[in-house]
Amino acid sequence: MGPAEHYLANAPLETGTTNVVAAILYDYRGFDTLGESTIIFTAVTGVALLFSGFRLGTSAHGLSVLVKRGVGTLAPFMIVFGAYVVLFGHISPGGGFQGGVVFATVAILLCIVYGAGFDASRVSVKTKTVVEAIGALSFVGIGVAGLLAGGAFLTNLAAGFSAGTPGTLVSGGFVPLLNAAVGMKVGAGLAMVFFSMVREVVREITGETAEEVES
Amino acid sequence: MNSTYTAVAVIFCIGLYCVIAKRNLLKIIIGLDIMEGAVLLLLVASGYREGGVPPILPASGPMVNPIPQAFTLTAIVVGASFTALALSFVIMLHRHYGSVDIDKIRGLRG
Repeated sequence: MGPAEHYLANAPLETGTTNVVAAILYDYRGFDTLGESTIIFTAVTGVALLFSGFRLGTSAHGLSVLVKRGVGTLAPFMIVFGAYVVLFGHISPGGGFQGGVVFATVAILLCIVYGAGFDASRVSVKTKTVVEAIGALSFVGIGVAGLLAGGAFLTNLAAGFSAGTPGTLVSGGFVPLLNAAVGMKVGAGLAMVFFSMVREVVREITGETAEEVES
Repeated sequence: MNSTYTAVAVIFCIGLYCVIAKRNLLKIIIGLDIMEGAVLLLLVASGYREGGVPPILPASGPMVNPIPQAFTLTAIVVGASFTALALSFVIMLHRHYGSVDIDKIRGLRG
């Protein structure tokens, strides 16, 4: 019996998760996923570092009023959809990465439609940094909980996380928690990548006029 | 199944042509992403089985292999991170040299 058959047959018993892809991603290969989110973290850090001398432009006025109203009406539904994709990732198609990208899309759409400063004025870049850090730290924290319970790093059910009833919202041990952590991380991280890229030049790259960088 | 692998080969070659023949850095990155898409398609297709349903329980019938799908998710994230970083370098290069043509980006400056 290969690993695939084993996962398909035993995922609900061993992880309490009915989405087998999520079971593999967050339980059987959870350590892999930690490395994967480290890659995003490194990319975000690199992009933010490259553009650290620039600040967010405030000159853009955005698109026409029709587009603004349309996107303004749609944005709450898109956020709800992103939350659905993240929170139901262990029982239906979706997960933290996919839902996080939906969150980041909302931020990018608002930035394009309402002008560059709009989204940053509502949810500042510092808040996004904090959200991303909380996501990364809670992923590691959930993994360490397995160590404290006497198991290995990222032990799920054996570490005392409740399996619940497979197929319901509260099930799967820490898989929904990891989904939420990764959703925060990816959403905030990709939004930060975009906001780093749209920054304007405020000083020459080699110049020494150290104008205050936006926070 | 063979048509899938043919499609993978064709898409990969389109990306490879982009990377080799184009002088515009943005087009080179687009070519790399097309090649990445071909690899992802190959990964997902390798886990397919005839008449398979998505690996979400309870399933009605044989399920496709979930492991390549999990790997594909990882690969998508790695590809997106790579694209973000590469585009940032292109933006910086454009600010330094005023061009995204790799023939004009020569020598050490600033």
